[in-house]
Amino acid sequence: MADAHYACRTAAHRSTRRGFLGSAALGAAGVFGAGGVSAASAAGTLTKAGKRVMVIFLSGGSSQLETWDPKPGTDTGGPFRAIPTSVPGVHVSELLPHTAKQMHRLALVRGINTAEDEHGRGATIMLTGRRPEPGIEYPHIGAVAAKLLGGESQELPGHIHVLPGGGGGFSKQDAAFLGPRFASVWLGGGQAPENVLRPGGLTDDADARREALRKKLNDRFAASRKSAATEAYAESFDQAERVFRRAEVFAVEKEPAALADRYGRHDFGRHLLLARRLLEAGVPFVRVTHSNFDTHHENFDFHLEQVAEFDRPFATLLDDLADRGMLQSTLVVVMSEFGRTPRINHLYGRDHWSKAWSVALGGAGIKGGAVVGKTNANGTAVTDREVNGGHLFHTYLRAVGLNPTKNFYPADRPVPIADPKAAAIDEVLA
Amino acid sequence: MSAPQVRPDGVWKVGKPLIGCRFDPSGRFLFASAEDHMVRRLDLRTGGVVGFTGHASWVRGMAFVPHGRPVGRSANEPPPGLLAAGSGLSQSAAPRPEPFTVVTGDYHGRLLWWRGDLPAPQFVWSAEAHAGWVRAVAVSPDGSVVASCGNDHLVKLWRAADGSPLRTLAGHDCHVYNLAFHPAGDRLASCDLKGIVKDWDWRAGRLVRDLDAKPLHKYDTGFRADIGGARGMAFDGAGWRLAVAGITNVSNAFAGIGNPLVITLDWATGKPTQLKPKEAFEGTAWGVGFLPSGAVVAAGARSGGRLWVWAGDDPASAAVVNVPSDGRDLALSPAGDRAAVACWDGTVYFFSLAVTAAAPSPRPVAAR
Amino acid sequence: MPVVAIVLVWAAAQTGPAPPPRLTLHERIDALVAAGHPGYDQVAAPLADDAEFFRRVTLDMNGTVPSAAEARAFFADPSADKRRILVDRLLADPAYARRMAEFFDVVFMERRRDAKVPRAAWEEYLRAAFAADTPYDRLVRDLLSADGTDPKTRAAAKFFLDRNMEPDVVVRDLGRVFLGRDLRCAQCHDHPLVDDYKQGHYHGLLAFVSRSFLFPNAEAATAVLAEKADGEVNFVSVFDPKKTQKKTGPRLPGAEPVAEPTPAKGKEYTVAPANGARPIPAYSRRAQLAGRLTSPDNPAFARTAVNRLWAMMLGRGLVHPLDLDHPGNPPSHPELLDLLAAEFVAHGYDVRWLLREIALTKTYQRSSAAPPPGEEPPADRYLVGILKPLSAEQFARATVRATGPAVPEAEAVVAGQVAAFRRTFGGGPGEPDAGTSPTLDQALFLKHGGSIRGLTARRNDGLTDRLAKLTDPNAAADELFLSVLTRLPTADERWDVAAALDGVKDRGATLAEIVWALAVSAEFRFNH
Repeated sequence: MADAHYACRTAAHRSTRRGFLGSAALGAAGVFGAGGVSAASAAGTLTKAGKRVMVIFLSGGSSQLETWDPKPGTDTGGPFRAIPTSVPGVHVSELLPHTAKQMHRLALVRGINTAEDEHGRGATIMLTGRRPEPGIEYPHIGAVAAKLLGGESQELPGHIHVLPGGGGGFSKQDAAFLGPRFASVWLGGGQAPENVLRPGGLTDDADARREALRKKLNDRFAASRKSAATEAYAESFDQAERVFRRAEVFAVEKEPAALADRYGRHDFGRHLLLARRLLEAGVPFVRVTHSNFDTHHENFDFHLEQVAEFDRPFATLLDDLADRGMLQSTLVVVMSEFGRTPRINHLYGRDHWSKAWSVALGGAGIKGGAVVGKTNANGTAVTDREVNGGHLFHTYLRAVGLNPTKNFYPADRPVPIADPKAAAIDEVLA
Repeated sequence: MSAPQVRPDGVWKVGKPLIGCRFDPSGRFLFASAEDHMVRRLDLRTGGVVGFTGHASWVRGMAFVPHGRPVGRSANEPPPGLLAAGSGLSQSAAPRPEPFTVVTGDYHGRLLWWRGDLPAPQFVWSAEAHAGWVRAVAVSPDGSVVASCGNDHLVKLWRAADGSPLRTLAGHDCHVYNLAFHPAGDRLASCDLKGIVKDWDWRAGRLVRDLDAKPLHKYDTGFRADIGGARGMAFDGAGWRLAVAGITNVSNAFAGIGNPLVITLDWATGKPTQLKPKEAFEGTAWGVGFLPSGAVVAAGARSGGRLWVWAGDDPASAAVVNVPSDGRDLALSPAGDRAAVACWDGTVYFFSLAVTAAAPSPRPVAAR
Repeated sequence: MPVVAIVLVWAAAQTGPAPPPRLTLHERIDALVAAGHPGYDQVAAPLADDAEFFRRVTLDMNGTVPSAAEARAFFADPSADKRRILVDRLLADPAYARRMAEFFDVVFMERRRDAKVPRAAWEEYLRAAFAADTPYDRLVRDLLSADGTDPKTRAAAKFFLDRNMEPDVVVRDLGRVFLGRDLRCAQCHDHPLVDDYKQGHYHGLLAFVSRSFLFPNAEAATAVLAEKADGEVNFVSVFDPKKTQKKTGPRLPGAEPVAEPTPAKGKEYTVAPANGARPIPAYSRRAQLAGRLTSPDNPAFARTAVNRLWAMMLGRGLVHPLDLDHPGNPPSHPELLDLLAAEFVAHGYDVRWLLREIALTKTYQRSSAAPPPGEEPPADRYLVGILKPLSAEQFARATVRATGPAVPEAEAVVAGQVAAFRRTFGGGPGEPDAGTSPTLDQALFLKHGGSIRGLTARRNDGLTDRLAKLTDPNAAADELFLSVLTRLPTADERWDVAAALDGVKDRGATLAEIVWALAVSAEFRFNH
C-alpha cells in the first residue's frame, strides 16, 4: 500500500482518505494517533451495553411552539394548548400527548440559537456541530458515531439513514475526511440497501462456486502481489457477504405484529421500528428522517398531521428501548435543521427560525426530565443558557461516553472532533 | 342573472390577525374572530364593538340561533347603513336588535353559546364538543338544531334550546372541515379534508350519499402531507346548489401554491361544476356564499386578497375585486347586499353588492 | 528559512552539472531512480513480462484492457523494440485523448457536480485538447482565463464555474491542483505543521480571485464570471495576540507581489456595476493569475504537473501526498523531480511526450510481483511495480471490453456503464479520487448489481457467449484469461476451467460465473 511508509513516519498522517485501502489495515488507532479515542467495540456486534445513537430528524424545520416549547395564549402561540407531562412543571404542546408521558426519560434544550435559516446549512450545523466553512467538510454525527462507537471491524454498516420515499443509496459526503467506510447507507422508504439482496436466478450453489473461484484467483494473485490494498479489496467482499447473510436485519416485517401496531402502521412508525431493529442488531448509528415540517403555509394543520404521526411511534420507541434494556445505552435525539418563526404569517404559516428553538434528547447519558435554556414569553428570543449546534454535538458525544475534545487527524493535521469553541451542555447529562 | 356591482364599503380595524366573520341573522352585527382567541361584535348601526372573551383558542365556527324568527328570512328593517367602528354614534340611538344566540366553536374542541344581541355578551352554556378542533358550526333553518364538525372526523348535532347533545354523525375518515344545512331543513351536508361531501338525513341519523369535491384535496408527496378541505361551504337560497370552496392544483402544499376553486354541486344530481377565477391567481378560496340572484361570491388569498363573483355557472363570467390584505373568511349579509372579508392584517373589509337587475333563477325545480 | 532552502534546491537543479546529453530522458530517469537506493539493480524486481506490461500500459494510456487477439499478437511479436512500438501505437490511438480527458477531469474537478458546464461539453473540451497536444501550460491558462461568456470556450471555465467561484474553494484547489500544496491550514494562521506554508501565501492567492463572483448569481446554470474593481484582502493571524492586520495584493507563493496600476477615479470600470449588468473592471486581478501561475517563473507549476503525471504512471508521486510539497516533505528523488520539471518545460509542456518517456523507463516497466521472500519493499524507492486501483472509468471500460464482443462496442453503450461505475467507484465531490478504501456499496455492486451481472451473462457475441461456443475447455480457458486478464492461464487455471465445465448442462451459466470471478478478482481490479 502506497501510504504505509509515509504514514509510519508520522502516525498522525494516517488517514482513510489517502491510499486505496486505508482503514482496514490501519485500525481505529490510526486516525487518532497516540492517546486517541479507541473504538468501543471490536467484536463486530455491539453488546446491549455498547453505546449507540439514534437521530430522529424532523426535516424541513419543525416548530418548537407546536412541540417542545409551547407559548399558548400569546400573540405567537397559535391555537394549540400546552399540556402537562410526567415531569411536574414541564409542559409541551398538546400535539405530543404520548411523548408527554415519557418526559421523565427526556431532556429538553430550549435555548438553541443556530443563526442559520437556510435548510442545507441549518442541517449541516445540526449534523456536524459546525458552521459550514469553505474548503473543509466535517463528518456528520452519524459518521463520527460509526467511527468511534462501531469502529473498523463493525460488521453491519455503522451509519444508516432511513428516509421516506424511494432513493436508497450510499452517501459519498457525510463522512467527510473519515472516509467512505463511515458514510451513510440510505434505506430509502425503509428498503434494504441497494444490491444487498442477491438477484433472482443466482442460487446459493452458483454463488458459492463463483466465490470459490474468485478467492482462488485472489490467493494466486496475492502469492506474489499481496498488499494491504488487495487484502482490503478481498475483505470488502467478505463484508458484503456478511451483510447479505444478515439482510434480515433490514426486514422490519419480521418484527411482531403487535409491536408494529404500537409503532403505527405508517412509514414513520415502520421506519422507527426498523431503526430500533438495526440498533439492536449492532448498528451504532441510525438516523430516521421524518418529512416534512417546512410549514410556511398552514403550519397548524400540517403540524397536527406530522407531529401526531411522530408522537406515538416516538413514545413507543422509548418504551420499546426501555423494555429491551437498550435505553441506557442508546442516545435518542430529536432534531431539525431549525425551528419556526414565532410570528404567524398571512398563510397561517410559520417560516424558518433559528434564533430560539428546541431539541429533545433521551436515553444514554441523558438526565431525564431536565429542561435547559429558556425563551421569552412569546418565544422570540433566548433568555437563558443559549447554545448552538456545537454545544449539542459535544453533548451527544459526551452522552455516549466519548471525549469530544480529542482530535481526528485527516491529512496530517489535528481537527477537533467537536467544535472547540463550544462545550457540552452538562445540565442535561446524567 | 347578472353580476352585482362590487364596491368597497368601509373597514373595521380590529388590530389582530382575523380568522372568521359572520353577519347575525338581522344583518345588524358583524362578528369577527381573531388569533388572540377573542370574538368581537361590531354593531354596524352604531359602530360599537363588544368583545366575547371565553375561548382559549382560535374560533372559526360561528352560527346564529334567532329567537322567534327562522333563520334566513329578511329582517323587517331595511339593511342598516354601514358605519365605521367607533364612529361615535351612541348605541341608544339605535333600535333594540332582534334577540339571538350565537354559537362559537374553537380549536380546543369547545362550543360556547352566548346571547349575541345584548349590549354586553352573556355566556349561556358550553359543550366539550369535539376531540381536537371545531372547524365549523351551522344552525338548522328552523333554528332548533346546532351542528358542529371537527378533527375527530365527526359531525355532531346539539339541541339549540339547551345545548344538549342530540346525535353524532360518524362516517368521515378524516378532519371534517365544514358543514351546511339544506334550506329545506332535513338534510345536512358536511365536507372533509379529502373533498368527500356527505349528505346526511340528520333527523334519521342516516348517511344518504357521498358527493364528490375531491379536486379540493391533494396528498402532497413531496411534503408527505394532505392539503384540502372545504374552507367555505354554503347552499343557495333555494337549495339547488351547494358550493364548497378551497384550493386545487396544489404544487407546493407547504407554500400554499395552488389555485382557488369553488365547486358547485347540483343538489339533485350531484354533478359538480368548477368555478375558477379568470385571472391566474395562486391561493386558497377561504369563503363562499350565494346572493339572492344566484350569483356565487367567494373570497380568497395568498399574496393579497381577492373577492370573486360568478354570475352563473360560466367560469368566464367571473368578476374580481382586490382586497387589500389576505382574506381568511367571507360573510354575506342576510339580504345579500353586503360582503365582509376578514383579513390577516386585522381588518374587516366591507363591500357593497349592488344588484342592478335581479333576474329569476333559471332553475325550475327545487331538489328534495 | 525554508523559503531560502527551496530556492537553493531549484537553483542547484538549474546550475548543477548536466548529465551526459546523449542519454535519453527515460535513461536518465532510470539512472536517478537506481541512484536512489543502495544496490538497486540487485534488489529491484525484474522487468514485467509482456502480459503484465501490455495490460499495464494499455490501461494507463488508453484507459482499458487489450482484446485477446491484440494480446496474442503482441506476445507473438518477436521484435526487440515491440514495447516502444506498442507505446507509440497506444499514444497515437484516439483512446489516449479520452483517457487523458477522464484522468484530468478528476484532477481538475474532483467529481464535483456538473452544474454550470455539462459533463459532455467538458469531456469533449478536454479530449480535444489532449488529441491536439495542447501544451499543458496553455491548457491550464485557458482554464484559468475563460470567464464563461463565450460559448466556444465556456467549457474551459468549468474550473471556476463549478466551484461556484467561491474564493476559498478556488484558492484551496489552485494550491492543491496546480501548486502541489494544500494551503487550507494557512488560511487563518501560518500552517501549524508546515513551516513553509504561510498565511500570506493563502491570502496572496486569494487576492487574485476575491473580487470575482458569479453573475447573475451562483444559482443560475448559465452563470458567468464577473469581477469588481475593488475589494482588498486583509488578514489577521488567530495566533497573533496583537491582532495585527495585514494586507496583501495578488501574489503567488514565493513570488513578488503583482505590480498593480491605480485606475483613475471614475475609470475603474469598462462596464460599471449596474442592475442587470455584468461589471468589467478596467484592471482585472483574475486576469493576472493564469499567466503567472503557469509561467516557468513559477516552478511549482511544472513541478506539480510532472509529479501528478508520474503518480498516474507509477502509482505514487515523487512528492507524496501530491498536495504536500514543502521542504519538510521532500521528494523521494529530488533530482529526478527537478529533471522531469525542467524537461517538461523544455519540451513545451508536452504531456504525450512525457508519458512516452516515462513508459519507456525500466522503472515503469518493473514487475509488480515482489521478489520473495523478504519485507515489503519501501514504495518510494520504486523497486517493485506499485499496484494501482483502476479509476472508475478504467474499471468500467476494462470490464465492458473484457466481457464484451470481439469487436469493441460503441461509445454510447460504454458510456452508460461508465456512468454507473462512476457513481459507485468515483470519489466524493471535492475529495481526491484515488484514495478511497473499498466500500460495502462497491462490493455489493460487484456481487449483486445489475451492471456486472448483465455484462457477464451470456449475451450475443459477448465473451461468455463466445466461450460457450468453444468445445475445447483449454481453448475456452485461453480465450477467457486473455480477454479478461491479458495473460494465458496457468496449467492449474486451465484445469480449474475444465473441471468447472465438466458435465455441465448450461455451459453459458457456468461460464458467466467464471467470467464474473475473473472480472471482480483483485488481479482485474488493480493495474499491476
